[in-house]
Amino acid sequence: MNLNEKIKILSDSAKYDVSCSSSGSSRKNKKGGIGNAAPSGICHSWTPDGRCISLLKILLTNYCIYDCKYCVNRSSNDVPRAAFTIDELVNLTINFYRRNYIEGLFLSSAVCVSPDHTMELLLKSVKRLREEVNFNGYIHVKAIPGASNKLIEETGKYVDRMSVNIELPSGESLKLLAPQKTKESIIKPMGLIKSGIIQYQEEKLKFKSTPQFVPGGQSTQLIVGATKDNDLKILKLSESLYSSYKLKRVYYSAYVPVSNHPNLPAISGPPLLREHRLYQADWLLRFYGFNSGELLNEENPNFDELLDPKSGWAIRNLDKFPVEVNKADYYTLLRVPGIGVKSAQRIVQGRRVSMLDFDDLKKLGIVLKRAKYFITCKGRYFPQKSIPTNAVSIKNRLLLEDNIKNRGNIEQLSIFSLFPGIMDGEF
Amino acid sequence: MLYYIYDGSFDGLLTAIYDAYYNKDFPEQIVPQDSFTDNFLISKVYIRTEEEKSKKVHDAVLQKISRRAMAGIMYAYLSEDENAGISILEYLRFGFKVGRTVDSYLADDRVNNINRLVTKVAREKHLLAGIIRFRLLHNNIYYAPIEPQYNTLCLLGKHFADRMSDQIFVIHDVKRSYGVFYDKTKWFMSDIEMNKDIVLHENELFYQELWKRYFDNITIKSRINPKLQSNHMPKKYWKYLIEMK
Repeated sequence: MNLNEKIKILSDSAKYDVSCSSSGSSRKNKKGGIGNAAPSGICHSWTPDGRCISLLKILLTNYCIYDCKYCVNRSSNDVPRAAFTIDELVNLTINFYRRNYIEGLFLSSAVCVSPDHTMELLLKSVKRLREEVNFNGYIHVKAIPGASNKLIEETGKYVDRMSVNIELPSGESLKLLAPQKTKESIIKPMGLIKSGIIQYQEEKLKFKSTPQFVPGGQSTQLIVGATKDNDLKILKLSESLYSSYKLKRVYYSAYVPVSNHPNLPAISGPPLLREHRLYQADWLLRFYGFNSGELLNEENPNFDELLDPKSGWAIRNLDKFPVEVNKADYYTLLRVPGIGVKSAQRIVQGRRVSMLDFDDLKKLGIVLKRAKYFITCKGRYFPQKSIPTNAVSIKNRLLLEDNIKNRGNIEQLSIFSLFPGIMDGEF
Repeated sequence: MLYYIYDGSFDGLLTAIYDAYYNKDFPEQIVPQDSFTDNFLISKVYIRTEEEKSKKVHDAVLQKISRRAMAGIMYAYLSEDENAGISILEYLRFGFKVGRTVDSYLADDRVNNINRLVTKVAREKHLLAGIIRFRLLHNNIYYAPIEPQYNTLCLLGKHFADRMSDQIFVIHDVKRSYGVFYDKTKWFMSDIEMNKDIVLHENELFYQELWKRYFDNITIKSRINPKLQSNHMPKKYWKYLIEMK
């Protein structure tokens, strides 16, 4: 089989992995070597689905011994199979890198022969890249659940990021769709990578020459919409992954129907809006000081698809608003809908030298579309006729403005669910 | 209307700043000679570039304002915006007055005008670090043509020299007819005159095909969103992208 066909088969099955990030590592090039990592990460292209290409995201092989129902590579699926030789893979990576097509390699694999056999192949590939070809660009490798500790630890010395995909957010869902995998087999390598990273960080304090171990951190992926798990369950899981397993990122992947097994839901397209809301909430956990309990609870276990999670929280907590821009501390500003990390930093910096009014905020590049319902400047609301102050009207305004902007983008909605205010005589 | 006209170099611009300060002039515009169009209302002062004056301004900015301010006016200059020259003068006047806190005045137009230009240039620089595409030529030189909107190429020399430290390369700004060269030891800039056709290495098209194949394949068809794609990667940059041809 020629390289062209192999690429087709092995990239096709890798594309549902959403992670393509090349950030978080500052690996330097060595003398006469090729490649380095950029801490900010660099995107090299964008595909027609709008996703960034940073890494060459590819499987070593798609021959698989497992039969997970949600996966294109399940052993019972009749798809063409292929495997790279290590030489082919190394050659491809280097030639793409030299042309500046990519920032590095994201190497994954189906489980071929056994977890140990597969992990060994992955290790050999990255070792060849680092030691023989002197490649110092970004490498992200999948840890194969069930592989031995020694192999996973050894691999960690050569790569910038490692990940284990959880895919299904609960034990029940695993049983239903991936009966050959267990929760334990997934969690074990995550714990191993975590302690490797911690050990490295501690030793580095003592010995500067400590060899790196997964400097870009650990990540994982959860599939959204293939099972009945609600947003609260997913978000709680992410929260504990960030706190207990020190993960760098959790990715969410809207389930793209790749099979019509009776255990899977019949859906027309991937639940993109739901995925988007989870990402927004994930950001709120990591950078905005929110916890999952503030965003969702047992009575409301799913996000309002129409309203972003922060606006939703603000409307439920109107007693905390309006916030005076010139006085509120940084973390209070971060909780204002429409004000992000950059905006909050600018406000804090800008008000050091003068009191800010709404015109100033605009000059600082702060978007007032959402924020204007929740802030005052020098004690005054935004100068516009009737800024509403009750929950129902604010919500209606936000929905209205969103809908005007995104007309056609949102799935079809009934007029009444969009404007409940009409029924209440609020509008 | 008083116009300062300089030779287009950064040294020339800094010399103009120096002269405006010491002649106590308040020019309406500071423009490079190439983009200057005369009319009879304009009184012109031609600036003679002097490295000594330029260095004095440079040192004063570092000493009395900040390193960040120096980088800021450099980026603003590279934006080639028609008002860049005068914006830089106004920003520096303000900066010399308030000192290192100048960049806290985010809502002040003098600061804001510079910041807007800096953002544009910095954004393009980061984008180009990703979307420059090298082609291997028959003589084993990696060659990348590109037409940046701003004059950002000179900001990328170090990035690529660090990264591709064992390959000879040229990045060619086709619009401005100059390039960044790297010879495995150091990088430098030089004018480029193209008088010969480019001859590709015999393997080049093979890898271009593989890349295109990969690009087409990695797209998830049920998530197609071309608008999002061109938001991230504006169409004006597609001309030299292998995968967009």
